[in-house]
Amino acid sequence: MNVLITGASGGLGRALTIECARRGYHLFLTDINKTGLESLRNGVERQFPVVVATMACDLTDDTDVDRLLAHLDTYGIQFDMLLNVAGLDFEGGFLEQSRKNVLTIVSLNICATLRITHAILSRRAIGKSFSLVFVSSLASQYPIPLKATYAASKRFLLDFAYALGEELKNRHVHVLAVCPGGLVTTRDAMDGIKAQGIWGDMTTNRIEVVTRNTIDRALAGKLVYIPGIANRILSLFGHLLPRTFITMVLYKRWTKSQGKWLDIGA
Amino acid sequence: MKTIIITGATSGIGLAIATTLAMDGYRVIGIGHSEQSCRKAEQLVHTSDPTGECLFKAADLMQQREVHRIADELEPYIVQTCGGKVHALINNVGGVRSWYATTEEGYEQQFALNHLAGFLLTSRLLPYVLAARGRVVMTSSNSHKGVRIHWDDIMLERSYNPLLAYKQSKLCNLLFTRELNNRYGSLGLRAYAVDPGLVQTDIGNKQTGSMVSLIWSIRKRFGVAPSIPAQTYRYLCTQQEYPSGFYYYGCKEQSYSHQVTDDNARRLFALSERLCAITYGDVS
Repeated sequence: MNVLITGASGGLGRALTIECARRGYHLFLTDINKTGLESLRNGVERQFPVVVATMACDLTDDTDVDRLLAHLDTYGIQFDMLLNVAGLDFEGGFLEQSRKNVLTIVSLNICATLRITHAILSRRAIGKSFSLVFVSSLASQYPIPLKATYAASKRFLLDFAYALGEELKNRHVHVLAVCPGGLVTTRDAMDGIKAQGIWGDMTTNRIEVVTRNTIDRALAGKLVYIPGIANRILSLFGHLLPRTFITMVLYKRWTKSQGKWLDIGA
Repeated sequence: MKTIIITGATSGIGLAIATTLAMDGYRVIGIGHSEQSCRKAEQLVHTSDPTGECLFKAADLMQQREVHRIADELEPYIVQTCGGKVHALINNVGGVRSWYATTEEGYEQQFALNHLAGFLLTSRLLPYVLAARGRVVMTSSNSHKGVRIHWDDIMLERSYNPLLAYKQSKLCNLLFTRELNNRYGSLGLRAYAVDPGLVQTDIGNKQTGSMVSLIWSIRKRFGVAPSIPAQTYRYLCTQQEYPSGFYYYGCKEQSYSHQVTDDNARRLFALSERLCAITYGDVS
């Protein structure tokens, strides 16, 4: 099994990489962070008998992605699985962020994901089963004030995954959208979770469980994976309650925890 | 002036050891996690011993590239200022993580910070410790008892639980201590592991969730001040004659888990060498 992972050197990317390596899959890892990729390749090769290739790439840059694809084409690598992990968010309200940051969220979370997905799907082995995974978020389940752009970008991925899954159903492509809650990926993420108090502990998913289940579900051809009971209940509320009510509640909650988060960060 | 290097030296037990040994007249090199905490600790140690020499440097030791960087930076200083000798290396840095989280290499953070960081730093500084016929001291814990090493899943990706990861990493400290003695004891090096006991530090409040943090906040109230275990480190570092045995609490030798065998020690040593991509020197 050959797997391509984007955003591989971030917290979730690393955990998925380890999970795949543990299963004996061969890996092609990409990320904008070259040093991180090299460290990760070393770490994986020292632990597991799998082939690991890496190439740093800015997925928001067309030319850079072409360079990556040319590299894949030179070696004629075909993949059986694509894990779209690369994504980001910036803290702060819409007007408090720079215009550049707002657009970067869309450019990476959406445009770059479509760019690499289209390219890799076009290069898949025809007639063989292919698993396509989008890392969406619990934030895709409702509009979230103060995280408006991020939540909407993750909603895009969720809807897109549903539709594409149907479109490619008869072409051996299985599409899965993963919607995790909080994940402890960085020191900042840990501080952010702590700032939410017991609520943070409840909605935080264990990253090693999420990664294992993600691969299991991708192989089983599932459509959507929302990890954790607390998150599934929250998602249900998202479907039952009026969107105006949800945005009001979430605005209050995020105003409070963002304030605390900034306190801890300082 | 003899040199002592301490990791995790800007708070808790590490800071108490730094202050104690500085007052005893040792040159202290401390490693802490941030510039800010280093400057604060430097000032504090300097205040308690205005005539002494101390140097604090920041590094995120759970990342191997940071261990290498700090070793690269310290080497010229050790050669030029410390006469190429390190009297004692105290691998004290440690942490708790509520959740499974990884380093840049994809290694579980408690294992990486509590064990591999010390393993790698010791290998880098070994020639200077040997030159001084010096000592290596690990901050272990009595909680190393009651667990075994999960050889098939040492990063606990399949069965993570914060306490289990902590206990296993503390068992690693003892196994590493044992193997260091086996390998380098005949060359004059002595390695010790210390059980500091329950101490009032912030270990359970850093990078943990609300639950672990709350439990630790209550539990640590029953602990002693960091200056108490610092005396054990002081004893192990400053006795003219090598103290016997290798596991200590309250300046006294203690019994350790039956998992601390030569076989396990050798096995962990070999695995750690592989995970750090190093080979400990065959010094003769």
